[in-house]
Amino acid sequence: MKVKIELFGASRDFSSHDSLEFDIDNNSTVKDIKSKIIDYLDNHCGGNEKFKKIVNSSVFCSDKNNIISDNYKITKNQKIAIIPPIGGG
Amino acid sequence: MLHTKVIDIKEKKLSISTAENFISSTDFGASIFFSGTVRNQNNNKSVIGITYDSHDELVIKSFNEIYSEADQKLNIKNKAVFIEHAKGYLNLGEISIIIAVACKHRDEAYILSRYIIEEIKKRSPIWKKEHYTDNESDWLKGNPIVYEKN
Repeated sequence: MKVKIELFGASRDFSSHDSLEFDIDNNSTVKDIKSKIIDYLDNHCGGNEKFKKIVNSSVFCSDKNNIISDNYKITKNQKIAIIPPIGGG
Repeated sequence: MLHTKVIDIKEKKLSISTAENFISSTDFGASIFFSGTVRNQNNNKSVIGITYDSHDELVIKSFNEIYSEADQKLNIKNKAVFIEHAKGYLNLGEISIIIAVACKHRDEAYILSRYIIEEIKKRSPIWKKEHYTDNESDWLKGNPIVYEKN
């Protein structure tokens, strides 16, 4: 199963692309996805601590535009968005 | 009455006159126009521009929720509200956000305008990347959104 993570704000610096994609087990949670992103940052961004802090202070948004909890389960190929700390205006 | 939009600055600029046309009505005796613009200094750094990023669907959802909440929390029923936020690169002095409100009386117009901008700052997924005179750029730290169980 695949999950696509759309990047926004400061998380855009994680990649030159607009999203990250991971293979995940069925019923993986948002918490598991966070671990996958941290692993990715270790392997592709030299374990950048600033980036990891962004992941840990972010929430995620489902493809139905709802903010989802760490326990939310991914049960199909899905697109979710990482929502780092915000500050518009 | 509500208008909300995220404007891609490559396509058009935000305009106070558009907001004025939307909220204008003889039903209302008080109008407030708030605009946010790009300023040249932040945290002792010389800023030359800001790139705004947005999760458009979630931003519009948050604008709608803020508008609806004004009914319940502020008890302001009769109102016209125009909210537009820019995304993309803005130069100094360009408008990043317009909040225009019209109500029957000035007290509620001031309260409503202030309420909307403060809630947007807390809840709407918009991000700023500042660009500086030394060719550096940085995403502003921002405030985490808190997950609230529905």
